[in-house]
Amino acid sequence: MSRVESITKPLAMTGTTTPEARVATLEAQLKEAIVEIAELRARDALKTQFLANISHDLRTPLTAVITHGEILRDGILGDLSPRQMESVRGIINGGRQLLNQVGEILTYARGAANQLTIVPTRFGIREVLDQISTLNAPLVKKKRLTLVIDAEPDLPPVMADREKIAHVLANLLGNAIEFTPTGGRVWVRASRASLEKSEQIASVLVEVGDTGVGIAAEHHDLIFREFAQVDATPSRPHHGTGLGLTIARKLVELHGGRIWVESELGSGSRFYFMVPFEQTD
Amino acid sequence: MQGHVLVVEDSELVASALSVLLESAGHRVSIAGSVAEALALSPAEPRSLVLLDLTLPDGDGLALVDPLRALRWNNVVALTGHDDPDTRARCISGGCVDVLVKPVPARELVSKVATWLG
Repeated sequence: MSRVESITKPLAMTGTTTPEARVATLEAQLKEAIVEIAELRARDALKTQFLANISHDLRTPLTAVITHGEILRDGILGDLSPRQMESVRGIINGGRQLLNQVGEILTYARGAANQLTIVPTRFGIREVLDQISTLNAPLVKKKRLTLVIDAEPDLPPVMADREKIAHVLANLLGNAIEFTPTGGRVWVRASRASLEKSEQIASVLVEVGDTGVGIAAEHHDLIFREFAQVDATPSRPHHGTGLGLTIARKLVELHGGRIWVESELGSGSRFYFMVPFEQTD
Repeated sequence: MQGHVLVVEDSELVASALSVLLESAGHRVSIAGSVAEALALSPAEPRSLVLLDLTLPDGDGLALVDPLRALRWNNVVALTGHDDPDTRARCISGGCVDVLVKPVPARELVSKVATWLG
């Protein structure tokens, strides 16, 4: 029996002993459990640190691969034939994709190890929406999707970490595009959130919606959990680290905001997040 | 404008990719793989530039900015794998003229190096 099992099933072993002896046994088991939990936490922290170190170190050889690829692509060592160019572009695209995935793992590991810091500046959310929309335009075109960006006029600027908010938006919009079939609709809306009684500060509410496959209600919590993908079968039609929403949640929560989803299978998804216009601390 | 570029970088893979790129653009390239190697250098010639990695096997790359300046390597550009505002701020306050995040697109690096050397 493992130590955890012995804690969870103490009464079965206590048949003929006195109450005092049972208390003593339970106290001893409790002490063991406390030690066990501390050991597991320490090991978990080590693994997280390992993940942060290894994902950072992976960037170095990738940098060399991508740089050499670009030297060839840009004709710095002479002109390439069209077939050679196609092959070199494949190396660069593969390298860049891998670099992004490694970057996501690094951000996740830093978040889990509480090594992410928020550097707030004042900016208009509309600018970030436009920037993310431009970055995704080629994919949107390729899948023949309609992307609508809409920000309420006269929204006050937010005081937030611009890169991290852009990261949240990129992950949400990336998912929306990935999980929406060809010809569908994807939208991003920013508006002033109505103040609830418990809230002292006005927030901006951002919605990222799509007409895609949707998410069953029982999976609404699962999708924000680390390493979870709703379809974890070996065939996995959708690839990626499975960390996009975990990272999005972490980054929103670091701003004192919150993130959630409204969706049903087959009826698209609407992800929302709220970030206060001004930080309290 | 062509010149002398010192690449302070502990990864031979990255250093050799950068030398191929910069030599093809007509620059002379020297490589230092550690703080100690960089400190053993002779004074800079006119029109020179340092591309500085931050994490070196024997210390923090930023600790090299002042000693390199004493050797008249005045143009120091940080080349880092850390893409975050903290690192950027640390490099600028540490005396770097600019901060680039690896991998810098090849064409962008060539054109920036030409500007700094100009």
